[in-house]
Amino acid sequence: MPSLDRSSLNITFRIWVALGVSFFCLFVLILRLWYLQIIKGEYFRDRSENNRLRTIYLPSPRGLIFDRNGELLVRNRPSFNVDLVVEDSPDPKKTIENLAEIVGEDSQVLQERLSKQTKRRRFEPKLLLRDISRDTVGRISAQRHRLPGVIVSVVPTREYVHGGLASHVVGYIREINQDQLKSQTYRGYRMGDDVGHYGVEATLERYLRGERGSQAVIVNAIGNKIGEAFFQPEIPGTNVTLTIDKKVQSTADKLLEGKRGAIVALDAQTGDIIAMSSGPRFDPNMFTSEISKEDWSDLTNSKEDKLSNRVLQGAYPPGSVFKIFVAAAALSEGVVTPSERMTCSGALQFGKRSFRCHKHSGHGAVDLFESIVQSCDVYFYTVGQRLGVDRIYHYAHDIFGFGESTDLGLGEEVPGLIPSTKWKQTYFREPEDKRWYPGETLPVAIGQGAVTTTPLQVARALAAVVNGGRLLKPRIVRQLVASDGRVIQQASEQPEVVGTVDIEPWILDKVKQAMVGVVEDKRGTGHRAALPKERGISVGGKTGTAQVASRESGSKRDDHAWFAGYAPADKPRVVVVAILENAGHGGAVAAPVVHDVMASYFGVDDVGVATVADDGALPED
Amino acid sequence: MLRIDRRLLTNFDWGLFALSLIIPLCGLVVLYSAGYDADAAVDLFGLLSVEFASAACLKQAVYLAAGIIIMVIGMSIPTHMFHRYAFVMYGAALLLLCAVAGFGVVVNGSRRWLSLGGFNLQPAEFMKLGLIVTMARLLSKSPPKDGHAYRLTELLIPGLFIALPMGLIMQQPDLGTALSLGIVGVSQVMFVGVRPKVLLLVILSAVVLAYPSWHMLHDYQQRRILVLLNPEADPQGSGYHITQSKIAVGSGELFGKGYRQGTQTQLEFLPEHTTDFVFSVLAEEWGFVGTVFLIMLFFGLLSFMLRVAHRSRDLFACLLAFGITAQFFAHIVINIGMVIGLMPVVGIPLPLVSYGGSAMLSLMFGVGIVQGVSMRRMLFRAAP
Repeated sequence: MPSLDRSSLNITFRIWVALGVSFFCLFVLILRLWYLQIIKGEYFRDRSENNRLRTIYLPSPRGLIFDRNGELLVRNRPSFNVDLVVEDSPDPKKTIENLAEIVGEDSQVLQERLSKQTKRRRFEPKLLLRDISRDTVGRISAQRHRLPGVIVSVVPTREYVHGGLASHVVGYIREINQDQLKSQTYRGYRMGDDVGHYGVEATLERYLRGERGSQAVIVNAIGNKIGEAFFQPEIPGTNVTLTIDKKVQSTADKLLEGKRGAIVALDAQTGDIIAMSSGPRFDPNMFTSEISKEDWSDLTNSKEDKLSNRVLQGAYPPGSVFKIFVAAAALSEGVVTPSERMTCSGALQFGKRSFRCHKHSGHGAVDLFESIVQSCDVYFYTVGQRLGVDRIYHYAHDIFGFGESTDLGLGEEVPGLIPSTKWKQTYFREPEDKRWYPGETLPVAIGQGAVTTTPLQVARALAAVVNGGRLLKPRIVRQLVASDGRVIQQASEQPEVVGTVDIEPWILDKVKQAMVGVVEDKRGTGHRAALPKERGISVGGKTGTAQVASRESGSKRDDHAWFAGYAPADKPRVVVVAILENAGHGGAVAAPVVHDVMASYFGVDDVGVATVADDGALPED
Repeated sequence: MLRIDRRLLTNFDWGLFALSLIIPLCGLVVLYSAGYDADAAVDLFGLLSVEFASAACLKQAVYLAAGIIIMVIGMSIPTHMFHRYAFVMYGAALLLLCAVAGFGVVVNGSRRWLSLGGFNLQPAEFMKLGLIVTMARLLSKSPPKDGHAYRLTELLIPGLFIALPMGLIMQQPDLGTALSLGIVGVSQVMFVGVRPKVLLLVILSAVVLAYPSWHMLHDYQQRRILVLLNPEADPQGSGYHITQSKIAVGSGELFGKGYRQGTQTQLEFLPEHTTDFVFSVLAEEWGFVGTVFLIMLFFGLLSFMLRVAHRSRDLFACLLAFGITAQFFAHIVINIGMVIGLMPVVGIPLPLVSYGGSAMLSLMFGVGIVQGVSMRRMLFRAAP
């Protein structure tokens, strides 16, 4: 056994050194722990909280949309979306490739969609595919093992129950885009959210949207939910009841099927829009999933212009429909009396020019009533001359509200135009163009020339004539009811009157009598609008055949066909205005359309007149 | 055969004994939390099934009981027996290591285990003790010729004894064990004394050799070292362990999140939280107070063991006790260092605390040997 030679090796010293080294090393460890736990403790505590808490947003279903009778127009159906939680996928790129292969998509596209969503964190689901079919869900489920991090979520998706019914009123939603995300208007929105893009969906976005809920869940390292830390339920969007009547609306929609034109039915007393149809329509359901290029170019095709609501955005020359208002103006200004007769020889010589009446053979001697019933142009040329353009402007613009937006609140409205000397002054640059020539007043008096109006303006002005002189603000929303049942907004029984027609009642009565004549008189241009006699609902109205400026063929078919009607004549409840682009004569084409809408409104089983072929046996207007 | 000698009990180191029980008991407390699983029924080695919420804790308790028996055995073996059988132990361990290299079982890409029927044996564990004993014998047999410090030539043979098993273990690959083996052997040499010039030469050649040996390292080993320098570079991959461990440790702050309240641990963000990363559990749930407390206990243990080495009867016993102390030290520093991001993740358990039967047994055996050295310090010339 060797002995410990304490003299040669100083063991005590060596032990102390060893102790010192141990102490030093352990002290370094303690220093490091001090740094991690005390100095950076708060930072690491935050990180550990981030680790365990994941906030999941709960989408709020959008508000439902009903017609005035409570019929469901727009609802939410459950649909399947595919999301990817990047953190749960060891190789996101590979996962996306697999997914693309399974669902038959381009993996490049999916990859791009993913990389755009930079605002979402690794552990948050990122949307890859929307509204996939049950079939695809099945295929994805079967291949689960190849798709780590891929989740199929069930989300409420917009469904327009009746397809394109009232598409221009209801509108559509789309996924929020990058520009919107950046704008202040859309604060609080997140990538992948839906946002109203058109119609009521857009204008009532803040009500329909509801409030997203959130849920903080405690998860373990493999992402399994093991508890809940915090929960705020989503608040579904506010339900909207429109003034639209589904039955009347669908009649109007059908009438415009395959045609370009507009129909609007307005409650003459309240300004409620009963039906608003613009043809051609679109199917808002197509916007809930990806839109193909073909579909998009079809939607934006400039001739069809499907996305334009012609009731608000179509500025058409009103043609003879305008005579209603010119007549009222003329009587009110005393430039003509109801009994004064003027002779129509088929044309009016004015200076060197000859202004023709649509009836080349002439109407003979006509008074106010006959001139409206038969739509004599010569009578109105004369009346217009006597009034002068600025007085026409005054009545049309200041009293009947033409040339201005109606403030419906359903997207952009085209104001239309009522010309005046002042308008010429400001609108034209060359001095000789700035002058108003008296001859220019003549076409204005029959709703041609520079005059343009929207169908809604015509409907509103006609309502003012027949409802006792109240110019109403049209309305489309009847009621907003929050998800908790609270009524947020209720259209009052009293209409919002934006102007009073300062015209003596007897004058309006004379005009109304003439309009009833248009429909009921044997020489009336609009008798096709008449409802069956046995129902006792008499209809008044005015036809219009607006010439289109750029007319090449000279065919009458190129004219816009108008009819603006109201009923019942004795106690007007509804005003219906229809215009059919390049469809021919108002009396032949538009009057039957208005008849059908009214028949639908009054529940008269007589719809279908409009589909009867034009027999041409009508007096022209 | 044990002989109860009154003198043996006189020099029984109660402090060492107490600490060698207190530390694993603390470990059991931490393991109860780390291995908590409310629904689990613990299957105790296929013998019986027990209702207990933490399998790791219960099994570790059984290992601790076995460890105490092993410790008693360790202290009962006369110190000179280790001296006598030093080379036998070393040789046997070396043979087993060669056997591993030849037909070991590959687990997780490393060839570390020998399959012996039902269970796997890790010869590197035996080599730890084998090397300590052999170095103690070699160095005590031939102390420095000048009486103070070794020359380079005198270190060739001890160096070979260290390098041989290190190389074998390195190629398994098991960087951690190889490293701790090297630290223990070298520290024994240094304890006796090395000339400054030799020391300088060794350090220089280590630096020069570092470059080629870096390329000899496996990819994952290189990554673990690189990750240490910048763990956030790959938080999901190699850096995951370090990042999660640092979050666990740091978020404990001063007083910890409370017992069984560690979110990193309980939600399993922390990997290997009953074994290699058990210290993070302590740090998360007990805070700075807890970690300093455990480190102080460890320092106490090391001090008591060094005191035994100091008081030992002869140079062999001294080097034996010191070697075992050095092994504890290396494991403590490497493990804690790795958990708090000062060292690469090398898979060294925390002595007496980390869950694991074989580590518990071998460490308790080591404590027993040191205790044995202490008990026999007055026994000169024991009966042959």
